[in-house]
Amino acid sequence: MEEFDDSEIARLLRLKRYEQPPPGYFENFLHEFHRRQRDEMLRQPLWRICLERAHTFMSRLDVPSLASYPTAVAAVLACAAIVSLKIYQQPEAARIALQSAPSISAPANAEGEWNLASPVSMPILRMQPVRSFRGSAQTHRAPTRYVLDSVPVSYEPTFRF
Amino acid sequence: MEHPRTDPDQELVKRTQAGDASAFDELVIKYTPRLYGLVYNMTSNHEDTNDLLQDIFAKAYKAIRGFRGKSSFYTWIHSISVNMTLNFLKKRGRRFQLSLDDVDASIQNDKEFLEVTATSSPVREADLSELQRRLNDAMMKLSDEHRAVVTMFHIQGMPHAEISKILRVSEGTVRSRLFYANRQLQNYLDEFRKNPVS
Repeated sequence: MEEFDDSEIARLLRLKRYEQPPPGYFENFLHEFHRRQRDEMLRQPLWRICLERAHTFMSRLDVPSLASYPTAVAAVLACAAIVSLKIYQQPEAARIALQSAPSISAPANAEGEWNLASPVSMPILRMQPVRSFRGSAQTHRAPTRYVLDSVPVSYEPTFRF
Repeated sequence: MEHPRTDPDQELVKRTQAGDASAFDELVIKYTPRLYGLVYNMTSNHEDTNDLLQDIFAKAYKAIRGFRGKSSFYTWIHSISVNMTLNFLKKRGRRFQLSLDDVDASIQNDKEFLEVTATSSPVREADLSELQRRLNDAMMKLSDEHRAVVTMFHIQGMPHAEISKILRVSEGTVRSRLFYANRQLQNYLDEFRKNPVS
């Protein structure tokens, strides 16, 4: 009685090459791959997406060959320090602007936030919350107080046609 | 299958590393059919194969920046595939799902198919589809590592040297695994020949 030898088994196994996925599978595979990638990206936190983009940008610039990672980290920290200093100096500038211009009121969006727009100008004649700027730079966290604009409404120039 | 010294996928790999996603798409299109065969014959389940293939390419896309070209992309992607499939099979355990698809209709005109069915051999005595089913059974009785070697050597036609690179074992280990797996398959199929299903 004949037995299966190695070549017979090998030939039978080669037939398994013909076992195929459903028709159209390979055509749709790439679309499915893209869809899954998009889904995964949407689930990622924003900081990770930013980090990956930054990494891609850096690799395009070939920054690692120019500077080591510790240097890059030091540079990022230095930039962060400079930016934070600028932000914390902002209340001081706002105070100077307020003192020199009596008819100035704080910007409309000054409530509880800082922004980088010039604090000068915008003669809005309403009651606006402004910050109390007594004491050191840390006092910008003091509760807000309300002041009246120094120019009464009746002093406004009238329009003549 | 000997690979030339220069990797034929080198250009696509470089473009992908530079951020060109369409270059990776080309690699996906190129390797999906081949990797499907590899993973499918190791898992014997289409759904598992599909999920694994998606994970394999996703992992490869994330890791391709770190690919330095010490091996060919072909070897690299096959290594990822085999390792991920073996890990998956370990997690899945011995849950055996015989869901291998029917042999493609085009096989009926294939020279090799005709040869197998026409020659005077034990194959002719048995119904081929039943034999294929038994062969699949026998494949699934092999250990995952042995099945991987059988798949790469017999089904995918890879040389021993390439398999040893992919599995990171010696060629001797590949040969001994093949020998052992062939003996096991032979035993299972002989048993079927002696006691065919009526």
